[in-house]
Amino acid sequence: MNHLLILPILLPAVIAPLLAMAVRNDIVLARVFSSAATFGLVIIGCMMVWTASDGQIRIYELGAWKAPYGIVLVLDRLSAIMVLLTACLATVVQLYSMAGWDTRGNHFYSLFHVLLMGVNGAFLTGDLFNLFVFFELLLIASYGLMVHGGGPTRFKAGLQYISINLVGSVIFLMGLGTIYSVTGTLNMAHFAERISQVPESDQALMAVGASLLLVVFSLKAALVPLHFWMPATYSNAPPPVAALFSIMSKVGVYAMIRFSDLSLLQQGGPFSALGTQLLVPCAVLTLIIGSIGVLAARSLSQQASFVGLASIGTILISFGMFTPESQAAGLYYMLHSTLAVATLFLLIDLVIVRRPGAGDGFDPQPFPQQGYLSALFFVGALFVIGLPPSSGFLGKLQILHSLRSTSEWPMLWGTILVASFVTLLGFAQTGSLVFWKSSAASKTDPHSPGENPHNELPVPDSSAKALPLAMPSVAIGVAWSLLILLMVFPGPVMSYLEATTEQLFDPQRYISAVLKPAGASEL
Amino acid sequence: MNIALIVLLPLLGSILPALMIRSGRNACVASATVVNFLAFALLLTHVPAVFFYHTTPKISWPWLASIGLNIEFWVDGLGLMFATLILGIGLLILIYARSYLSSADPMGNFYCYLLIFQAAMVGIVLSDNVILLMMFWELTSLSSFLLIGFWSHLPAGRQGARMALAVTGGGGLALLAGVLLLAQVADTYRISEILTRRDLIQNSEWFPTILVLILLGCFTKSAQFPFHFWLPRAMAAPTPVSAYLHSATMVKAGLFLLARLWPVLQNDGLWFYSVASIGLLTMLIGAVIALFQDDLKGLLAYSTISHLGLITMLLGFATPVAAAAAVFHIINHATFKAALFMNAGIVDHEAGTRDLKRLGGLMWLMPVTGIIALIATFSMAGLPPLNGYLSKEMMLEEASHTKWMGLKEVIPTLVTIAAVFSVAYSFRYFFGVFAGRVRHDYPHHPHDPPAGLWWPPTLLIMLVVAIGLRPDLLAESLVKSVTAAVIQDSPPDIHLKLWHGWTPAVTMSGIAVGGGLIVCLLTFVLRMAWDKLPRPDAKVIFDAVVHGLTRGCQLISDGVHNGSQQRYLFLIITATLSFAGWNFLSYPWAHGGRPLQPISTPLVVGWILVVASTILVVLNYHNRLYALVALGVVGLFSSIGFVYVSGIDLALTQVSVEVVTIILMLLTLFFLPKHSQPESRNWHRCRDGGLAIVAGLGMGGMSWLMMTRQWSMESIQSYFLANAKSGGGGTNVVNVILVDFRGFDTFGEITVLGCAGLAIFAMLEGLVRGKLRQRVQSWEPDVTRTADRHPILMVVVTRVMLPMAILVGMFIFLRGHNLPGGGFIAALVVSVALIMQYMASGFAWAANQVRFKYHGLIGGGILVAAATGVGAMVADRPFLTSWHDHWHPPKFLGIDFGDIEAASAMAFDLGVFLTVIGAVMLALAQYSKLGIIAVDAQVNANPMDCDPLNHQSPSTGAKPH
Amino acid sequence: MELLLASAIGVFTAAGVYLVLRPRTFSVVMGLSFLTYAINFFLVSAGRLAVNMPDILAKGKELGDYADPVPPALVLTSIVISFGMTAIMVVMGVRGYFENDSDHVNITATEEMIARSRE
Repeated sequence: MNHLLILPILLPAVIAPLLAMAVRNDIVLARVFSSAATFGLVIIGCMMVWTASDGQIRIYELGAWKAPYGIVLVLDRLSAIMVLLTACLATVVQLYSMAGWDTRGNHFYSLFHVLLMGVNGAFLTGDLFNLFVFFELLLIASYGLMVHGGGPTRFKAGLQYISINLVGSVIFLMGLGTIYSVTGTLNMAHFAERISQVPESDQALMAVGASLLLVVFSLKAALVPLHFWMPATYSNAPPPVAALFSIMSKVGVYAMIRFSDLSLLQQGGPFSALGTQLLVPCAVLTLIIGSIGVLAARSLSQQASFVGLASIGTILISFGMFTPESQAAGLYYMLHSTLAVATLFLLIDLVIVRRPGAGDGFDPQPFPQQGYLSALFFVGALFVIGLPPSSGFLGKLQILHSLRSTSEWPMLWGTILVASFVTLLGFAQTGSLVFWKSSAASKTDPHSPGENPHNELPVPDSSAKALPLAMPSVAIGVAWSLLILLMVFPGPVMSYLEATTEQLFDPQRYISAVLKPAGASEL
Repeated sequence: MNIALIVLLPLLGSILPALMIRSGRNACVASATVVNFLAFALLLTHVPAVFFYHTTPKISWPWLASIGLNIEFWVDGLGLMFATLILGIGLLILIYARSYLSSADPMGNFYCYLLIFQAAMVGIVLSDNVILLMMFWELTSLSSFLLIGFWSHLPAGRQGARMALAVTGGGGLALLAGVLLLAQVADTYRISEILTRRDLIQNSEWFPTILVLILLGCFTKSAQFPFHFWLPRAMAAPTPVSAYLHSATMVKAGLFLLARLWPVLQNDGLWFYSVASIGLLTMLIGAVIALFQDDLKGLLAYSTISHLGLITMLLGFATPVAAAAAVFHIINHATFKAALFMNAGIVDHEAGTRDLKRLGGLMWLMPVTGIIALIATFSMAGLPPLNGYLSKEMMLEEASHTKWMGLKEVIPTLVTIAAVFSVAYSFRYFFGVFAGRVRHDYPHHPHDPPAGLWWPPTLLIMLVVAIGLRPDLLAESLVKSVTAAVIQDSPPDIHLKLWHGWTPAVTMSGIAVGGGLIVCLLTFVLRMAWDKLPRPDAKVIFDAVVHGLTRGCQLISDGVHNGSQQRYLFLIITATLSFAGWNFLSYPWAHGGRPLQPISTPLVVGWILVVASTILVVLNYHNRLYALVALGVVGLFSSIGFVYVSGIDLALTQVSVEVVTIILMLLTLFFLPKHSQPESRNWHRCRDGGLAIVAGLGMGGMSWLMMTRQWSMESIQSYFLANAKSGGGGTNVVNVILVDFRGFDTFGEITVLGCAGLAIFAMLEGLVRGKLRQRVQSWEPDVTRTADRHPILMVVVTRVMLPMAILVGMFIFLRGHNLPGGGFIAALVVSVALIMQYMASGFAWAANQVRFKYHGLIGGGILVAAATGVGAMVADRPFLTSWHDHWHPPKFLGIDFGDIEAASAMAFDLGVFLTVIGAVMLALAQYSKLGIIAVDAQVNANPMDCDPLNHQSPSTGAKPH
Repeated sequence: MELLLASAIGVFTAAGVYLVLRPRTFSVVMGLSFLTYAINFFLVSAGRLAVNMPDILAKGKELGDYADPVPPALVLTSIVISFGMTAIMVVMGVRGYFENDSDHVNITATEEMIARSRE
């Protein structure tokens, strides 16, 4: 009995109520407990990656009820990586929030840990309805976090986010009901086993069920044309929360991949074509819309959210190829972009709080600690755009490399490269407006066309004051050191990821591990 | 090993000056210089191996082998020559910049950027892996972006930087695609191997694509027409940067790559006509424009463009000798052009202006500078006995016998014209600045600069003269071995000397010098014609393009994300329906043969009621109170509906949830407007209505299809029915599933509820305490409210109800495991009773009676539930493993309590119970607190308004208007 | 009876979708509750209908004599969850109403502009 599998869910599940009841009036205690738990999650994540690295698929039968009747947690390489990624991101956000965001409203850390619980659960569970529950869990926490700190537009965006996602939940349940009515099961492995045996008379229903689930997962992953909730949400959420959210879209991606690789794409299965031929076009569209948004953005956080959208597009292009190689490349890029985008949001927050008046917009305004912050922003942009030698460049390179075997590679290469170019343009403009032109705003500067002539220079605001940078720097430093690890040791990472995708493309192992756990659940 | 160090030293060393600046400018410069010098020395250690023993040292470390990206460096003739130029001139530039930069400039950053650039540049020329080369390539674009924008307060600097980044960065991406393709065709990423696979590459179907993409990269980088426009704009950079990046090194990266890939890409077809023609054109245009520049740096910029074109053209000729000429001219141009830029910098620095119109006669004021300029410009003009002359002769020689489309006049003529103009602008530079009478209207008082500024160019000038005088000694072997490296073959038999006899080249350069002199004298005349000429301003076009692009993107992006939730939801639902529908149609299906269930009259009545009230809601949802009542009816009857389909727990839960929900929504309506005006346009309504009907048909149809078919494969349900009693210890299968089989779901579910409670609390706290409190207080209720806030009757009834409700709750709770009921329903019943107290006697009084915190209830509940699970783990069973037993308590007062289920599931259910009460009460209590603030009634500490025992005037809670 | 249920589900869904597409928070909430009703019945119907066969184990009954217990369990969970969701949404609506002085659901360009200059 390997209790490791339950820990990433249980730990936050215990910490969250503790924080809510015991230490809700003392922020210091809350910070101590919360960071301890978050760090614990990192350790657990490492242990999981280590455990899973032997290629064995482990299961955990909750309540000792065997699958497919009870709920099982399944630990394979993919889930392990995702849990570790979540923990790392959580650490970064945790460190950053301690700089003050956690005091802007109540119960920040409780919600934070409920969210982590939901995300980890979604990564680990092997049961479709349980997946739904964990989705709702992370959603409800995200609703709370989204409006943390308040503000008119934030609440409107929050309402849109919640309504759209509630519709999503309804769709999810529809899909579940349909699938249950046809296959009579809720367990993923069991479902995967039965989907190939669905009689012709039921296949249409099956198809509807499966496509509804795909829709929901794409909705979470913000795949065009289901992405509408994303830009407003990310750009209006509190920046640390937005940073945390960058894992939530990945939950959707994960679910999509898990679901398709496990059940839909079986050799000769009747549903192997379902949706897969639509994924790549939509992903390309996502990438295009995203990079267009980057150039079109009118504020820093908007730009960040659109660059996040674009990265989703890139990831899903590589996943949509459904070859082990391309999905491994996609995973690598996912690890990178999750952290890179999150960091960008934190950087932006550092800039925003120092620019009273200009705030989130592009209006050039000199602000304290400008040199340091512009250096940080430059590096952050470098990572996010994926310029050499950043891990993003390596990721894109591998994706291009993995695409070359496909028939439509010229179009895909073109899209990806042009998109990076447009992103580059967007960030070059932002940088020169927010960091360079603002340094001129203090000096007298003849108004220069080409740099968005709509905004005139505001008078330097005296209320802008230097703020502590130690904690934020640590948080960002952690994220970057992870990215640099990715960048310096891509070889080992890739070999792990390639093993991961091999596991994904051998669904029979998953199925037999879950349904015939001959000692598979033992260590 | 130390090959990599040549690159890594400047790269890692770049941090040094940024730090050392803290201990002064000299420390900063010193550190940078040392780094550069070490790298230079390291490089020179390879000279013998390469030039004398003709070996090529290599190193290779694996990095990302799966895609062929490895850290592979090699030093061959070509790389060595370029690296020498980069590091050698770099050294001079570092020293020069020390005196050039003013104390106001952030010198630390400057040297940091400069070293990064240097590292990237050396990386390009030494890397033996195409992808590695690409990485360094993009890195040069980035560092030049930083360097051009170094004076970020100047708009010109910012725009120049952005333009350079856009052009070279964009070209870089094309190049990336190109080299990836190339490597794929050649089936290796190692350059030294690619160079040996000419046939493989030239015979592949992708060759044209590869060539075009790579040329795009090279031409953008080396400012070839029509991408030349960024280079003059880049002159906004500090002069050391212009001298280093934009004449000596970075712009030569494109040429380097052309030379590097020369062996595999060159042919007399596509290659010749693209490369040679573009080169020729660039050379001509550059020379002509240069003549009419008044800004010294502008003149030099265009002359650089023209010379780059010259070299490109030579490489395009695709003959070994031409290649040799190209190599030679690369060296020469680097020497005299860098010297000239530094010279222009000196003039600017000393005289305070770079404007040719305002300059003149400086020869007498600053002789040293004048002599530097004299030699450098004459070399640029190609006058003997300077190195510029030699390579130019070679170029003319090659051009004189090269046919273009079979015409043998085209190239010689055009080349000569270009030469004429280059002589002209060289003369204009020298005579315009230094000759003529002395002027005294300079911003500063010009005199020869400090040594730091003049001896770096002087060193270069010495080279210019020396090479010019004894090329056979100084340059010949170098040029030969480099050429050998370029063509990957034994070098052509060339002899560099001043006098080859009376060749066509001599004639051409004679014409050039003569014509140049005339043109230079006629500059004023030509100038008028030139100014009349309509010329496109690259900057305007570029800005227009970028601005247009941005605007276009904004139009699209704002069009797509217009912030309208209605449209978002419409699109999302439409997408869902169409995707699902499309898949439904593309798969086979058949009607199921399951016998239908009978229809009973009450059922029909209920159906009619439900449907009717639904329609009622839809028709006048504007009138929110009525709509809410109708909604309640729907909820009520649908819960009765559950009874029909044998879901008794469902019915109970639905009813209790319904009650609480309605209370909640009533409280909400208390704040929100009770009515809303119809605002959607009609076609809008029709559109939504249409979608709604489609969705309804779809969902109804699906459920019909599901209900009417037999199970095609056996459902997991039978297992639960079989094991509920034996395994779960309960006869209410649904409840057993909830608390045992799928207890984990329930655990998640109560966490959701608890989390909702907390989130709601947090949100309302923002209203209760936050800056919004005033807004809440100033809020006006839009309906008149009864003065009798706490009707005595209600108070009495609810008091009586409370204990009964709690008793009922316990009953429901206890029987839950075997009969319909359970912790959740019990909790809702109890909380409803509690809410009644709040309603009846008001918030404050009720809150005073509450002895515990609802937060605690939530947390405690979840923890209890978790604890039951962890208890199992302690016994080394999986989380949430249950044990159960029956317990028959002794009769008490003759009452038989029956069989009481004692199962761990019950403890779990207790957790559910607590959490639910906590969440519901926390939310509603906080809500009612908000209400108090909103109507700022004086809070009553008594159970009711008029206490019947002591007769005092009723304290009405109505707001004093 | 299947027909009645299916049609009811259809009506609920249609009403829900229509209301969800309205421009005010409150109607959206009502629409979502309709969708919840629909989905609850939908899940029940996924387990096929069984009249008067409650899942209370009793002596002398075959396995076939019970309704499918799985969908009710799922529905119970989803009822609770959607209750939480509705609650949080209406409260969000109220807070949003006080923040914006309006319960309209769309974000206008001007609101975005204001949000941009936030600190």
